[in-house]
Amino acid sequence: MTTSDASNASNAAGTDAACATLPAPRGGAPLAPALLAAALALPGVSAPVAAQAPPERAQLDVRWLHYQDSQPGLKRIRVDTPSIGLRVPVAGRWTFEGVTSYDSVSGASPRWHSSVSSASRMSDERTAGDLRVTRHWDRATLSVGGAYSSENDYVSRALSLRGSVSSADNNRTWSFGLGRADDRIDPVNRIVVDERRKTTDVLLGVTQVLTPVDIVQLNVTHARGSGYYSDPYKTIDSRPRERVQTAVLLRWNHHFQGPGATMRLGWRTYADSWDVRSNTLTGEWVQPVAGGWTLTPSLRYYTQSAASFFYAPVYDPTLGAPFPEGYLTDLGAPRSPDARLAAFGAAAIGFRVAKAIDRSNLVDFKAEYYEQRGEWRLGGPGTAGLAPLRATILQVGLTHLF
Amino acid sequence: MLRPFGFGFDAMASRCEVRLAAPDEARARAWAQAAIDEVRRIEAKYSRYREDSVVAAINRAAGAAPVTVDAETQALLGYADALWRESGGRFDATSGVLRRAWDFRLGIVPDEAALDALRPLIGWQDVMRDGASLRLPRPGMELDFGGFGKEYAADRAAEALRTAGARHGFVDLGGDIRAIGPQPDGAPWSIAIQDPRDAAGTVAAFELSDGAVCTSGDYERFFERDGVRHCHVLDPRSGRSVRHWRSVTVVAPVAVAAGGYTTIAMLLEADAPALLDRTGLPWLAIGPDGALQASPGQR
Repeated sequence: MTTSDASNASNAAGTDAACATLPAPRGGAPLAPALLAAALALPGVSAPVAAQAPPERAQLDVRWLHYQDSQPGLKRIRVDTPSIGLRVPVAGRWTFEGVTSYDSVSGASPRWHSSVSSASRMSDERTAGDLRVTRHWDRATLSVGGAYSSENDYVSRALSLRGSVSSADNNRTWSFGLGRADDRIDPVNRIVVDERRKTTDVLLGVTQVLTPVDIVQLNVTHARGSGYYSDPYKTIDSRPRERVQTAVLLRWNHHFQGPGATMRLGWRTYADSWDVRSNTLTGEWVQPVAGGWTLTPSLRYYTQSAASFFYAPVYDPTLGAPFPEGYLTDLGAPRSPDARLAAFGAAAIGFRVAKAIDRSNLVDFKAEYYEQRGEWRLGGPGTAGLAPLRATILQVGLTHLF
Repeated sequence: MLRPFGFGFDAMASRCEVRLAAPDEARARAWAQAAIDEVRRIEAKYSRYREDSVVAAINRAAGAAPVTVDAETQALLGYADALWRESGGRFDATSGVLRRAWDFRLGIVPDEAALDALRPLIGWQDVMRDGASLRLPRPGMELDFGGFGKEYAADRAAEALRTAGARHGFVDLGGDIRAIGPQPDGAPWSIAIQDPRDAAGTVAAFELSDGAVCTSGDYERFFERDGVRHCHVLDPRSGRSVRHWRSVTVVAPVAVAAGGYTTIAMLLEADAPALLDRTGLPWLAIGPDGALQASPGQR
């Protein structure tokens, strides 16, 4: 298993980083006052929104993410990722951002399905870097970013272009993105040599301020990739060389005047050309309390259907594991036993505590517990016979503003 | 990198100022000028003292044919209507005629007969508005954008400042303040509330990064006669000065809302706290005995 797969796993189970990018509804501005609604109807009068404002101060983020998953009786993948990010505003119109991270991955490579016999130990390291330059205008932004990550058997390079345009009253923001990734796969077992995978993705989104305390966002992403998708370390793993993915994300943030809290709800629906269909529901409650503390409990539910070529842990009576039933009768067909392509449901519960120490320093800690099971799938039967996968994610971070 | 600048000017019968942070003086001047130009534009368009203003044209046509008004004026009339509704009829954009009986410069308290003669000319509910068409039904009726014109100018000037390129600063039109962003180091501006009985003193301060703070008080234009203070905020029902509050301050996302609520609060007298609390906006009021009252979050 490549470590990028491991990070994907931690991503799937971990935080939805994009969730934080949706601006919180303007606090302080209640829905109730009739005059405020009337005032905002006046030409050229808009409530303060800093949507397009470039950051005013340089920011340093130091973070440590720890991911550990397990199946009954077996500790599986463990990932430790320290990262350092720096964001520097220049001349009030530009922002330069850079993040570098290092993953150390260790643990058992995944079983074919759940059987202990074939679990072998693995360890790997990955270094990754991201650079992004953003130009800010009064109602628009444009940014170009590049990302590079490297491990012993996998190199990924990506370029992306992103932009946003806001309406004159700043109540609506359109966003778009275009990305291209070029990955090179050179597994140590040399089952393939110098394989490539190229992916192009586009994003279109709109964020609308509905009321002073409600913001909704709709994002549509579409990606087309071609190349090597299989897992070179699985004996039976041959996946199609094309993948077309579409996802729609709908989010709603609502601010409650009374408790001063923000509720964030999200729904993501996804489909791809491998017949994987998934739905994710997320809910977060951001509650500031006295003394600069913010408590954020969160819940997430995920359900997906299996890829058309996924085979359940039912093995060929003659060949035995890991060969699927009927393996010899259709040798060229795509097949994968990867549990992430199975039909399953998953739930996660998390809790984040953040504390603003002063105007320049913020510390935060997040813990999340994730569990996935075949029988938790909604809208159809889950893959039977899969051992439940459990993961814990711990993250601690320090943010310093200069 | 960014330096502070302040530009004072006189407009709308008030001492005004634009405060901002800019990389250099040339840009600071250009940005401030954009805001000042916008204040002057609105003053010229809506001053009741200028013969060529939109308001003067509307008032001249009172009792005669309807006048056609542009979109901006229609929007402001719509806001005047919202003020009238929210205040239960106390805030009346046609109550300016009472100034014919009141002379704050000479300090004359009008007699009942003088007020009785003017009362038929007050009545926002009788103003005929239909899209761009506007008609004051009775000769002698007057429209007056006092109580929201200056606040609207503060919001528009702040928008002009932001559009010009400023990111830190505020517009202060005689105490009606609209900020566009915090000080360059991220710290909010500290906006002090004037002591209503001591022009040099302050009673409290609000921190403001974005949004607006407005104050109405009995100390802006007033005279005292026989131990009674008569201020410029006049109740359209009695035609007399309001009594209760020395001053009311409201913080809101935009100045035109903050200012609307301060004036309504002055007009509602002792009933104001209930309305202000219902808005959920931070407020602070100084009562007849000088005691402070404030919204739950400020207490």
